[in-house]
Amino acid sequence: MPIDNATVAPMVAFRGVSKWFGKAQVLKDISLSVAPSEVVVVIGPSGSGKTTLLRCVNWLEEYETGEITVAGEMVGYRIAANGERVRRSEREIATARAKIGFVFQSFNLFPHMTVLRNVAVGPIRVNKMPREMAETVARDLIARVGLADKADAYPTSLSGGQQQRVAIARALAMQPKLMLFDEVTSALDPELVDEVLGVMQQLARDGMTMIVVTHEMQFARDVADRIIFMDQGAIVEEGDPAKLLANPHSERLRAFMRRHIHGWARNLPRDPMTVGKNS
Amino acid sequence: MLPEILISNSWLLLQGVERTLELSIATVLFSSAIGLLAALLRTFGWWAFRVVVDFYVYVVRGVPLLLLLFFMYYGLPYSGIDLAPIPGGILVMSVYFGAFMSEVFRAAIEALPRAQWDAARSLGMRLPLILVIVVVPQAVRLSAPAFINTCILLIKSTSLVSIIGLSELTMVGRQIVERTFAPFQILLGVALIYFLICYSLSRLGRYAEKRTRYAH
Repeated sequence: MPIDNATVAPMVAFRGVSKWFGKAQVLKDISLSVAPSEVVVVIGPSGSGKTTLLRCVNWLEEYETGEITVAGEMVGYRIAANGERVRRSEREIATARAKIGFVFQSFNLFPHMTVLRNVAVGPIRVNKMPREMAETVARDLIARVGLADKADAYPTSLSGGQQQRVAIARALAMQPKLMLFDEVTSALDPELVDEVLGVMQQLARDGMTMIVVTHEMQFARDVADRIIFMDQGAIVEEGDPAKLLANPHSERLRAFMRRHIHGWARNLPRDPMTVGKNS
Repeated sequence: MLPEILISNSWLLLQGVERTLELSIATVLFSSAIGLLAALLRTFGWWAFRVVVDFYVYVVRGVPLLLLLFFMYYGLPYSGIDLAPIPGGILVMSVYFGAFMSEVFRAAIEALPRAQWDAARSLGMRLPLILVIVVVPQAVRLSAPAFINTCILLIKSTSLVSIIGLSELTMVGRQIVERTFAPFQILLGVALIYFLICYSLSRLGRYAEKRTRYAH
């Protein structure tokens, strides 16, 4: 859906954000605004800062200059009474993180817990939801990602695609207002990619605000409201998916597309029903 | 099959086994508690705790257990502390093996992938909760082989406590030897008992590792 950024209070806003790892600047003056229910897909070569950008949103990485806000609250810092910017306490940071879902490339499920426990543990221990209620919610989410029969299995007995769907359910169980996806299909065998993308596509349809770092160009074109192309820590180009991918302005995006999307013939429609068929 | 002399002294030997097992079990429990606490303080504690733990581990690991036992037995009474052999033996051994256990657990805690921390943090968990539900349960499993290894060393080291007058298995063996002048049969029997205890523990450890592997 087209979203008029000017009139809606943004769910996420970057204002002049920069970050360094030692002397290397990994984020260069990033400004970006994501509206509620918007799906923003971030593409770019490895090392372009996409993952760092995403991890800064819930303070898994710290940023030094500029500011990031989520639902109007600054991430990681607050303004003290004397006008100075000070770090938030661990408690405040944790509280903010609890409302942001994060899905990792390598799933990162807790291997010593069943699927059900993985999904229910956050609501129980962090949100203090009664166990029975949390498990009901968890079972419902596990069914929604198509794994109702796996609730009592351990993660290691699942395929990568199944584990990633559990990871999405785990993040959703916290009732986040924003979901961040960090190359969630990159560690999957090709035949398992669609089942995960299908779940994400459904989530987008349900109106979740999402920032998705991915190499899946078909997904970007079908699901994204906007595509951001990053290179060397900066946003090089952004815009409507169809237009951007059909007609890239910068030579860097053209080069990226030549390298990464050989199979992706421009404007060649793929049956959208094949995406998420298995979910 | 067994020499007659072992059979006729089996009651005494069993009493020695009982004492050895008592010492071992108490020391495993206390040294594990000390070790886990030390490992957590060393890894996540305030800097002063880290210094203290480092000091403890390096000093205790660098001194022979026998010397620590002598110190407790001969040295402490001078400062007015006079511990009975059993609690004294358990105390010294727990402090000594606590240092080794702390390294066992520290290695396991550090071996846990950072990604597990990321996942826990992204759910809004904070350090104490992450330790309790994510780190410690996995670290305990990861540490199993090294833990069993340390327990085996520990059980055999209880024989040193005979030196401060505790009649555990080795002491009982020596007493029987003095009475019967049959060192070969008796000491071989004692060695066999130690071996059986340690071997069963290894098998038990293997079994537990298999059972707690994550797959169903």
